[in-house]
Amino acid sequence: MATGRYISDLDAGDDLGRVLYTVSAFTVREYCHAVEMSAEMFLGIDNPVAPPTLVHLDKLKLYEAACPGGSGPTARLHVEFDATYHAPVPVGAEIEVTGKVTERFIRRGRTYVVTEIAMRRPGTAEPLVNYRDTIILGYEAEKAEASA
Amino acid sequence: MSSTVTFPLAFSPDLQEGSEFALAPRAMTRERMRWYVDTQATAVANDGKPRFGGPTIHDDDDYARKNGLPGIVADGMVSTNWILSLLVEIFGPAAVSSGRLRTKYIKPIYEDDVLTTGARIGKISMTDGRKSVALEVWCRRTDGVPVTVGEALVNLPVGRTDG
Repeated sequence: MATGRYISDLDAGDDLGRVLYTVSAFTVREYCHAVEMSAEMFLGIDNPVAPPTLVHLDKLKLYEAACPGGSGPTARLHVEFDATYHAPVPVGAEIEVTGKVTERFIRRGRTYVVTEIAMRRPGTAEPLVNYRDTIILGYEAEKAEASA
Repeated sequence: MSSTVTFPLAFSPDLQEGSEFALAPRAMTRERMRWYVDTQATAVANDGKPRFGGPTIHDDDDYARKNGLPGIVADGMVSTNWILSLLVEIFGPAAVSSGRLRTKYIKPIYEDDVLTTGARIGKISMTDGRKSVALEVWCRRTDGVPVTVGEALVNLPVGRTDG
């Protein structure tokens, strides 16, 4: 069990818990505006939906709850996003998100952490989004360029 | 021989294997990097008030250098969202309704790198009356070097006939 302090402590098997929230128009508009996704179905008022990439924020919510100390001694770097989405996520939907660290391994001297996140409507088994997130702890650019 | 279509489109594209699509080139300015940092803090707080994120390797040069980087680098989710934006241009709401997007950040994206966001249609399959479109996706620098690569799958609604 490596939760309770830093993200850099996380290890395979760690349960990041559960977060409940309602998808707000504010969140969707702010996020989509920031990444220049200007379609009216995100920024407008006529039954807007959340982009599936918004699940990346759910990882941060889970981190905040499970690792209140933040990243830890070094920065982390996101290296892979992998989301499968099963149904639209409309603004106003109540959401339950759970997360679990499934892997921690070292490759070419760098430590990787894989987290699997499931987004669903509360109390249901049907997923809206399944997300697999991979980060590196303690990134160094020169090593990355050399091994890319 | 496929041709590349640059958006915004004034017509609905035909979906065929090998068809390529691209957004107009964008520079990864430090503001674009910071917008993602700040929107994370703002969106997670979700109280209607703007927030500053950071310091992170995406918005603070000193912090980035302390972590072994020559300067700030873009969060991979920026290029991922640019790719998703292209898929929305091609497929409309279907691009965010049912499917998959997988992106890998194979090289750092530095300040003012100019990127072309592209997608190429691969296999188009039909299952239970529903069409699924597989795509190769990427963001490349102007020198042709890919920095973000991946794959996508878009499941079209039953009854949609294009392609």
